[in-house]
Amino acid sequence: MSLNFLIAPDFAPERFAGWHMLNTVLQKRSGESLHLLTPASAAEQAELIAKGDVAAVYANPFDAASMIRDAGYIAVARPLGKSDEMVMATRADSPLNSIEGLKPGCKIALTDNKDVKLIGLRLLEAADLTEADVQWQLVESYQAAARMTIKGEVDIGFFLAEAYNSLSRLTKTQLKPLMESKLADITHVLLIHPRIGASLDKLRDALLGLAGTADGQPALDELGIEQGFEAMSVEDGEFMIDLMDTLLS
Amino acid sequence: MVFPPMQPAADATVAREHTYHDGSSRTVMVSEREIAYPQGRLIISRTDLDGIITHANDAFVELSGYAREDLIGQPHAILRHPDMPRAAFKDLWTTVAAGKKWHGYVKNLCKDGSHYWVYATAVPNVRGGKIVGYTSVRRQPSRAKIAEITATYKEWLAKEGSPA
Repeated sequence: MSLNFLIAPDFAPERFAGWHMLNTVLQKRSGESLHLLTPASAAEQAELIAKGDVAAVYANPFDAASMIRDAGYIAVARPLGKSDEMVMATRADSPLNSIEGLKPGCKIALTDNKDVKLIGLRLLEAADLTEADVQWQLVESYQAAARMTIKGEVDIGFFLAEAYNSLSRLTKTQLKPLMESKLADITHVLLIHPRIGASLDKLRDALLGLAGTADGQPALDELGIEQGFEAMSVEDGEFMIDLMDTLLS
Repeated sequence: MVFPPMQPAADATVAREHTYHDGSSRTVMVSEREIAYPQGRLIISRTDLDGIITHANDAFVELSGYAREDLIGQPHAILRHPDMPRAAFKDLWTTVAAGKKWHGYVKNLCKDGSHYWVYATAVPNVRGGKIVGYTSVRRQPSRAKIAEITATYKEWLAKEGSPA
């Protein structure tokens, strides 16, 4: 029987092929049959998890907390040298030069990526802005957030740093980053559910052994996770949940 | 409590005496110099149940001025600035020991006598139903909030009988 492997819906579009490459090499190395799930939204992801037949999840840290504590997943690995960062950017000719120039009532475009919003909200505290002070403009994609920002329909856009960096050169020349997070300690995590029994160890070992190998490294390169994955202990997972908890308010 | 020695910068010319909750005391040298909070970063540390530092991230190490090996194994109070009222830390420890989350503004003392302001959140690390330690994450506070809390802490210090 195939094991479902779900990828959180916040990866940059050009990584899509990389996830399929990873899925293929993990199947080969673990001997397990894997079915890749790439939900298009956080809501679709939640529906799939609620069905109870997702074996492994590459989860963003915000969602990982409830998947571990409420759904029983175990954090087994995280990407090395690839932390979850965000960028706040305004249009290139905006008079804004720092987030301290933002005032209550300002407009911010963002996608439904909860990590980016959470981190952004915490960083906006330095400008004395709370969630209620902002007129949020929810958009479908980072490209749409960039378009709204460039047109001046919003004061700034919130971007996953990787998505911002993958915007076209032309788009980026029309934007001005005001702040880039350097959190370093918050990353996506690979969660596996213990209900799959011995397959858990096979999948984890296959993932941890990819770096530097002829079949594994190309997939890692395609994903922008060049250094591969490192093992996480149960305590590492709990610590990350505690970290996220401190950011929740 | 015993701390590794400070390394006061030339401008840290004012000697201030601290008395800690365990009755021990320490003379610290302070300056008026504020270190800007590094934009976009989080300062993260963990302690055991006695407030002894068990983990410090890079931002914590860089801002404090101490080497990581000087920080691990030391009481978190190594960062305590004499302008911080005892009541603020009492509230922190009472709150987290009760299993709750604590938030507050804190003026931290660097190894060279300068300081930096943070907005701190501390949570208990609950494992198997028991509190086994604490995690603290600090982020950048607004200047308006620092101005407000500076005035409040001066009042608290005056009530505690310490010079502000």
